[in-house]
Amino acid sequence: MTARPLSTPLRLTGILIAVFVAVLLLSFAASYLVIRSSFDHNLRDQLEARMEVYLDLPSAEGRQERVLEDLANADPALILIDYRPAGRLGLSNVQTLPFADGFATLSESDISGHDIDDSYLALGLEVDGGRLTLAMTRAQMVDMAEVFVAVLLISLLPTLAISAGFGWIFARRTRLRIDKIGTVLHDLQGGNLAVRVPLDPADRDDLAAIGRAVNAMAGAQEAAMATLRQTTTDIAHDLKTPIQRVALTLDRLTRRTVLAADQREFVEQAQAETDHIAKTFDALLRIAQIEAGALRDRFKPVDMQALTHDMVEMFAASAEESGHSLTLSAPAPCTVLGDRELLGQVLANLIENGLRHVPTGGQIAVSLTQHAGQTVLTVADTGPGIPEVERANVLRRLYRLEASRSTPGNGLGLSMVAAISDLHGATLLLGDTAPGLRVTLTFPPLR
Amino acid sequence: MKILVIEDDKTTGPYIAEGLREEGHSVDLIANGADGLVQATIGQYDVIVVDRMLPGLDGMAMVKTLRGAKNRTPVLFLTTLGGVDDRIEGLNAGGDDYLVKPFAFGELSARIAALGRRPQMSDEPTVLRARDLELNLLTRRVTRAGQPIDLLPREMALLECLLRRKGRVQTRTMLLEAVWDIHFDPQTNVVETHISRLRAKVDKPFEVELIETIRGAGYRINAE
Repeated sequence: MTARPLSTPLRLTGILIAVFVAVLLLSFAASYLVIRSSFDHNLRDQLEARMEVYLDLPSAEGRQERVLEDLANADPALILIDYRPAGRLGLSNVQTLPFADGFATLSESDISGHDIDDSYLALGLEVDGGRLTLAMTRAQMVDMAEVFVAVLLISLLPTLAISAGFGWIFARRTRLRIDKIGTVLHDLQGGNLAVRVPLDPADRDDLAAIGRAVNAMAGAQEAAMATLRQTTTDIAHDLKTPIQRVALTLDRLTRRTVLAADQREFVEQAQAETDHIAKTFDALLRIAQIEAGALRDRFKPVDMQALTHDMVEMFAASAEESGHSLTLSAPAPCTVLGDRELLGQVLANLIENGLRHVPTGGQIAVSLTQHAGQTVLTVADTGPGIPEVERANVLRRLYRLEASRSTPGNGLGLSMVAAISDLHGATLLLGDTAPGLRVTLTFPPLR
Repeated sequence: MKILVIEDDKTTGPYIAEGLREEGHSVDLIANGADGLVQATIGQYDVIVVDRMLPGLDGMAMVKTLRGAKNRTPVLFLTTLGGVDDRIEGLNAGGDDYLVKPFAFGELSARIAALGRRPQMSDEPTVLRARDLELNLLTRRVTRAGQPIDLLPREMALLECLLRRKGRVQTRTMLLEAVWDIHFDPQTNVVETHISRLRAKVDKPFEVELIETIRGAGYRINAE
């Protein structure tokens, strides 16, 4: 069993959702940064303006007075003022505030005092031999970040859930439609030409177009098969009827007239030839039908152990008579999904091939084994074998090796085997037993 | 037997009719399906021989109609189609046997004889006999003139098949179908070799030959 291929619609939906989330996060981050920087800017301007007020005062006393005045109104939750001039009393509404020259962002842990529970932006300067630090709360900025996260979650999560849900449903629906097309194509390949992709006439999308194209192809193939079938039927009828008449005339000749021995011989020769023509004709017709694949509908589990036993037993007496050793090794029960009659024909053709080409005294060994769930049928002989360059050719219809022109047979035995092997999804291998031939058929495991 | 032959070919039809009449059957020959269906329905026939492809009403459709009307007369299809599923289609349509053209007259005659007198299942015998040969179907033992004969299972099946239709010819292909259940024609003389083995055990040690070869047709048990 092969792994189910990754569904294209489902994958595309996943990618789309990921891209959407990424873009949303990026735009949120960007707007947050822009807002935060303008907020920061604003805070700095306020700090500088306040600092300016103190610096503009002409004396340290004036500054002290102003700081005292401001401290009376300052809420430490919003603004911290820390004035520590040299040689004078420090004025402050905070216990400790680290000093930095210029702007600095101070976190909660850097500062100790009443109502301190946020980070602050501080501006420190060396003034009057001492230090003046002003710090304003960044609480608003922190709040804004929280609002941003909340907005992000509120807008993103439902969108994500809804788009993923709908995406999955649409992807699944598309997947089912694609699966249907796949099943139809598989069935068509298997020889069932009557299957069609179910289509809603309202559907106008690309899948519907593909479905329509597949149906059109199947229709054309079915029509071609029907024509082919009709043609073979017509040819069969038109050609075999005269053969039948000749056969009947010859039959009548032997039954109605007293023939001299040599005359009888001629008639019998002619009878054998008409019989041969008819058989070759039937074999070609059978191969054409087998290759068309429609017979797969009739497949049933076939007990290969019993079948090989029956067929070997059937030919055992003939093999003994012609001085061949015909052996069977089928130790375990094997079942193949197929057509008993055709599988029997495979065995008959291969064994007969051996009987025909292996010199007297030679061996023909039939064996049936199980290998990783696969049933392997092998017929090996000690005959002349088939040269490697000829192996593909012997599977062709009516092809015969130069060396075997004089032996009986119509050159269809192995091509019949190849056609039946294909029909059963088996792999056919012509190998060498140096110098004999080894034909191996490996059947797919039963599902 | 009373036989209806429905065959449109101007050479084949008369030849079959003539040959069957010579064998002592009473034969009606009809050249198209529609008339054949009427004749098959009103006449009381033992066997009907139908060409599968007929002008007017096709042979397959004709037999289906006949079976639809509960007519059980044995039907033998003649056909030029020797494909894999053609035989099965014919049998599914209600045919009892299927013969691919060209055929030897002996083959047709033997098959008609087999169809016309199918053994009744009700009085199934337990011992099949021909002269001094006995085959006990229950014990699967074979004796001739009281002497036991050892047979391989397939030889037993072959002998049983011949004994069940004793006195009538069984062709090679009929034996292949009945004993081996195969419907293709092996190119090796498998039936001949099996028959000759059977003969060596059943006939050779004895004076009278029971298994006869009928030239150009097949084999039969000579029961007289």
